[in-house]
Amino acid sequence: MSKKVVAVIKREYISRAKTKGFIIGTVLFPVILILIFSGIFIVGVLFQPSTRTYHIIDQSGIIFDEFVRIQSDTLKNGKPKYNFIREKVSSEELETLLETLKSKVVNKEIDGYLLIPEDVVQKREVIYSVRNVSDFEEQSSFSRTLSTIVTNIRLTNRGFKAEEIRKEMEQGRVRVTSHQITDKGEVEKSGISSYLLTYILTYVMFLMMMIYGQILMRSVIEEKSQRITETIVSAVRPVELMIGKIIGICGLGLTQLVIFGGFMLGAIYFAEPIFKSFGMTAPEFLDVIRKLHFTAPVFGFMVLFFLLGFIFYSGLYAALGAIVNSEDEGQQFQWPFMIMFMLSYFIMFTVARHPETARAFWVSLIPFFTPMVMFARIAVSDPIIPSGTYLSIVIMSISTVVLIMIVSKIYRVGILMYGKKPSIREALKWIRYH
Amino acid sequence: MSVLEVERITKSFGTLKAVDDISFSIEEGVVFGLLGPNGAGKTTTLRMIMNVIIPDSGHISVLGNRDMKIATDYIGYLPEERGLYRKMRVYELLLFLSSIKSMSKKDAKKEIDFWLERIELSEWKKKKIEELSKGMQQKIQFIGTLLHRPKILILDEPFGGLDPINQNLIKDILMELKSKGTTIIFSTHVMESAEKLCEEIFLINKGKQVLYGRLSDIKKKFGKKNVYIEYNGDDEFLKSDHINKYNNYGNAVELQLAKDGDPQKILKEAIKKAQITKFEIMEPSLNEIFLESVKDKDPGGEE
Repeated sequence: MSKKVVAVIKREYISRAKTKGFIIGTVLFPVILILIFSGIFIVGVLFQPSTRTYHIIDQSGIIFDEFVRIQSDTLKNGKPKYNFIREKVSSEELETLLETLKSKVVNKEIDGYLLIPEDVVQKREVIYSVRNVSDFEEQSSFSRTLSTIVTNIRLTNRGFKAEEIRKEMEQGRVRVTSHQITDKGEVEKSGISSYLLTYILTYVMFLMMMIYGQILMRSVIEEKSQRITETIVSAVRPVELMIGKIIGICGLGLTQLVIFGGFMLGAIYFAEPIFKSFGMTAPEFLDVIRKLHFTAPVFGFMVLFFLLGFIFYSGLYAALGAIVNSEDEGQQFQWPFMIMFMLSYFIMFTVARHPETARAFWVSLIPFFTPMVMFARIAVSDPIIPSGTYLSIVIMSISTVVLIMIVSKIYRVGILMYGKKPSIREALKWIRYH
Repeated sequence: MSVLEVERITKSFGTLKAVDDISFSIEEGVVFGLLGPNGAGKTTTLRMIMNVIIPDSGHISVLGNRDMKIATDYIGYLPEERGLYRKMRVYELLLFLSSIKSMSKKDAKKEIDFWLERIELSEWKKKKIEELSKGMQQKIQFIGTLLHRPKILILDEPFGGLDPINQNLIKDILMELKSKGTTIIFSTHVMESAEKLCEEIFLINKGKQVLYGRLSDIKKKFGKKNVYIEYNGDDEFLKSDHINKYNNYGNAVELQLAKDGDPQKILKEAIKKAQITKFEIMEPSLNEIFLESVKDKDPGGEE
């Protein structure tokens, strides 16, 4: 690489890395990450529900005691989760009672009521009336409890002893744990955490490709609008200038990515022993990070696909920067890239669930989508390397080189064109200029 | 030795012929003017010399070298469209400008200190470009083109936007460099400054050569001599066959000689009836030559 390109790289990198914004952003990133993870727990504690009050109209008369016995969970602050109040009422007075309860629910005096009919054991239907039906967790918890009670009663009626039933129920409980099969044997891994990790990492990649692409575009526009270009290209060939700028800004992104990844990996591999060596217990958020299954190979692929994706899209951003005359114009015309980023992200959601389908395979080979989609497949399948990984890297590399060769021609003409923004057709004609 | 050789270069953009079959050659230590109205093809020519764009046909060689990638390191170029990275500090920026001209850091530091001192901006070394006035920025950019000790200096409208004091400072520096053998190429449409500085000129219009040669030769060739006379008394002497036309102010007159007109004969006539306080034979100004050439010549015609 020529010394001139190195000079351009250094300028792009150092002049930005020295800005307060970059330093603060980079150093604060891990700190913010800690805060977010701690925040999840703090919010969890702060927004803990208080004791909920339910009135239970048990017309069968055989459910209430057992229901209260089973639903006896306490909150983290030690208070009971529920306060159940038994309502005894004759069928004539039922309507009036319901009216009263309804108005109490509306006035937020109570949270809701359960109406258990007399023939619940036969009809198996209970009405759960509540101000807010969105808490499906509570609904299914009540449903499970009621099912257990009713099943018990039905079995007792058939002559089974209550003691036996309880024993059978407990011994018959089955737990399903997810294992992932790999060529290195089976790994216990939860599905949810690998999706979560994939979404987070792909999102980080999406943001970084977009943000650093825009930084590059602004840098090209600055040189053009401040009329710096001509001074520079009289010493450095335009294609060298473009490559230097891409590498310099890419280095900036890599710096941030490595700090981010290093922090995560460090937290996973080394934090607990360090805390233990000081005789402390590791903070809870470390456990959350560890459960994400963020591994060194996943990080390696993330860096690789960020590089490929950034260079690919930066070529497009550089060309756009060279065509337009102002930052506003640049912002205005970057929507095609945005659409590509968004599409990649949407495709990623589906592909991360079914990483091995033929469709997932093919879509991850399309250069516009490869960085996010292929990486998502890798992250979700880790430690298996999904089919098409190496092929996608080859295709992406070749198309990046071809793209850079094409856009460098547009760039070369565009950076010295002042005045009216050319049409796409005119800009494409520049490719044929010498 | 000719330091810059331009041979029959042509450049078109679409249907527009920006530069059409232009050739010239510049000797070492000469101050050369590339002159022409706006849009004549000056900047395109300079961009080809700087290897920013490549000619459709023709060749350029710098110091006998046709490899333009290397050649550009011997040239310092101050483009007309000029600007600097606003957020960079003066010193860092100059260091960057020297590094893209293949200069070592150690060497560059010495030159930067020297030139900052010379243009009286040493105290501004650590300041950001955006904190400098327009004139200061221009001086910084000017020395940015000198740091790598170029053999050829190409300056596109170097005096535009500078006050007379700074114009003079730049001019003095240029004359110093010339005396040390630096070849200087001016590109301008301001004829007055070109006339004072240039030994050779190349006049370009609509992409084509209009005039080319030593300024004194061109002036002689144009031959049209003007006479300026300050007098008291009778103006009878103005009715002479030697005079083509005149512009009489009463105490002074500007006159243009007729073909084969002899200024000495006019002076003899004038002395008879008037008191002459000043008598000056003037060569045509470059501005006149410029205007006349651009107006008269069919742009397609050869000189």
